[in-house]
This record gives sequence, structure tokens and C-alpha cells, in this order.
Amino acid sequence: MQSQVRIRRWPWVAIALSLAVAFTLSMISPADSVQGDLVRIMYVHVPAAWLAYTAFFVTFVGSVAYLVTKNLRWDRIAAASAEIGVYFTGLALSLGMIWAKPTWGVWWTWDARLTFTFIMFFVYLGYLALRRTTDDPIARASRSSVLGILGAIQIPLVHFSVLWWRTLHQPPSLIRPDGPAIQDSLMLAALIVGVLAFTIVYVALMVKRIELIHLEEKRLAVEQSIRRPVAGEAVTAPELGAS
Amino acid sequence: MKRYWKFIVPAGIVVVVIAVLVVSLNSSLVYFNTPTELMSQEPGDARLRLGGQVVAGSVTDTTGGVAFEVTDGREAIDVFYVGAPQQLFQEGIGVVVEGTWDGTLFHSDTMLVKHDETYSTDEGEYDPENPYGDGSDQA
Repeated sequence: MQSQVRIRRWPWVAIALSLAVAFTLSMISPADSVQGDLVRIMYVHVPAAWLAYTAFFVTFVGSVAYLVTKNLRWDRIAAASAEIGVYFTGLALSLGMIWAKPTWGVWWTWDARLTFTFIMFFVYLGYLALRRTTDDPIARASRSSVLGILGAIQIPLVHFSVLWWRTLHQPPSLIRPDGPAIQDSLMLAALIVGVLAFTIVYVALMVKRIELIHLEEKRLAVEQSIRRPVAGEAVTAPELGAS
Repeated sequence: MKRYWKFIVPAGIVVVVIAVLVVSLNSSLVYFNTPTELMSQEPGDARLRLGGQVVAGSVTDTTGGVAFEVTDGREAIDVFYVGAPQQLFQEGIGVVVEGTWDGTLFHSDTMLVKHDETYSTDEGEYDPENPYGDGSDQA
């Protein structure tokens, strides 16, 4: 066990810089001819959804690697990534609702894309809950690895739901056989830079979260090494029948 | 060997459950009917969803609602929608309307606009004579 956890500061700088660039581009890019300024929600909604997929895919890789190598390092990566993924799934869902109300006319509807994203959100919340069911790091890692692998089935299910079923949600604009469906170069740049910026945010958050896991483990080790008196130890039982 | 079974058995159960769910949900995962599908359906009081594109030039404002045609490129269905149309409603845009089908007219009280995945900056000019036009016929 290492004695000192390195606290890095560059992740905060990276997050601030990349978000500033992405925000500027999303504001100076032109309005859409049909949706007007509403299109700007896309520059955050799409990167958030992309991050959710990436994060859960990393959880999947970490879970497989843990089961193969039994090295807890991979479990830490899987756990940190799942936490970030749940956050960004929630963000994609909320931003999607904010976008849906003025464009579709409703906050929410049960089409295939929305339904599967909703289920994915709760399955990974369940993953985080499962990690809290035991203090034993080995049992925790093996149990959550199984869910981390099974949960990954949902990544293609959510992504391709708009192509496999007839949905209200539109199909992908960026990754499609005919190339991006966005003609304007500044709009396209805003979307791609948004995705890249969120990817940098993800890496930065992963670094900070894994630092935090190391600090938590250190604190736990210190706590367990201190011998604490058992409650009532100071009290001596009265002797009966002493004369 | 035992520890592999500990993984394979639950994995198998989950895969079967997901497969059953997806297969049994397959019909309800289809969000709307196309005009062609609606043509072959029995008229009745059942609430349905109809999706397609608003036919150019078919939109007429009436008191209390708006009448238009929805097409999938093959068939076109007359729709009467009660209420104010959605903000993005216009000719050529995708819509999903909820309501009942009487065999000749689709009576709707709920409209969702289904915008597509394309984005552009081609600005059409607003024409007060043709408020639902997409502006493409304007020079």
C-alpha cells in the first residue's frame, strides 16, 4: 500500500478549460432553421449521453479485467466510472426532457429510446447500491463485476433503439452511414468539440474519483488498525455474593 | 470450475429475461402507426398513434383546431386536431398524433412534433398568408 496519495490539480484546470471552449462554440454557432436556439441544448445533451455510454463501457471493461486478474485496481476503475456514468445518464435524461417540452410538446413519453435509457439509469443506480451491501472489498468487487458486465448489454440497446424500433426520438445525427446530418460547419464543430470536451471532463473526473477511493481506503485502514474499546468495557460487573 | 458456474447461471437467467422482455414488448415498442398501417386497421374507438409527415399545402386553420394530412409517402390520412398546434408544427415536419380513427378521418387531441436528425441554417422567410409553410417556396 502506498503511503501517500498524490493529489493532482490538473483535472480541475482541464475541466474548466474544455468546458469554456465548448460553451463558447455552442453559443457562437448559428441557430437551427426549424428549432431556432433550442438546438443549442443538443451541444450538452448529446455529449452527456455519449459520456454515459463511455462510462458504462469502461465499467464493463473494468469488471471483466477484475474477474480475470482479481486485481482490485480494476474494480476501482469500474466503480468510479459507474458513478460518473449514472450522473451523466441523469444529465442526459434531464436535458432531454428540457429539450423535448418545447420541440415535441411533452416532457416525457414512453418511446423505446426513452424507456431503455430510463431502465439503464436505474440498473446502474442498482449497481452503486449493490456496492454498498458489503464491506468486504473482494465480495464487493466480484458481485459488482457481474452486474457491471450484464448491465453493458444496455449500451447497444439504448443506442440502437432509435434504429431497431419506431420511436419519437430522432436517429443519430453524427454517426450514421451517410455522414453527419449537420451541414453547417460551426454547428458540427460545436457538437464535436462538445463531445471531446465532455470526454476530457470524464477523464479528469475519473482521476479525481480514483484519488478519492485511495483516500477512503487509507482512512478505512487507519480506522481498522486502531484498537477501539468495546462498549461497556470500562464497567466492571458487580460481584454478587461477595462478603 | 465451480466459480464459473456462479457467473454463468445468473448471466444466462438475465439474458433469457431480457430476451423475453424485448420479444414480448416488441409491438408496444413501436411508438406509432404509419398511414399505410392505419388504412388496414378497423375503424373504432381505440386510441391510436399516427405518425408521418405533414403534407405541404394541406394545413387549414379552423375554429378550435387545425386540419391537415399526414403521409408516409404512400398513403395520406386526413387529421383533425383539436387545440393549438405545437410550436414547431409546420408543413413537411414529422408529427405523431394521438386519437381515434373513424375510417376516413383521424380525430386527434394530442400532437407531438417528431423533428428529424438533420440540422441546418437555411432560414425561410415567415409569410403571414401561409403561417405553417416551411418557407422553402419563398425566394
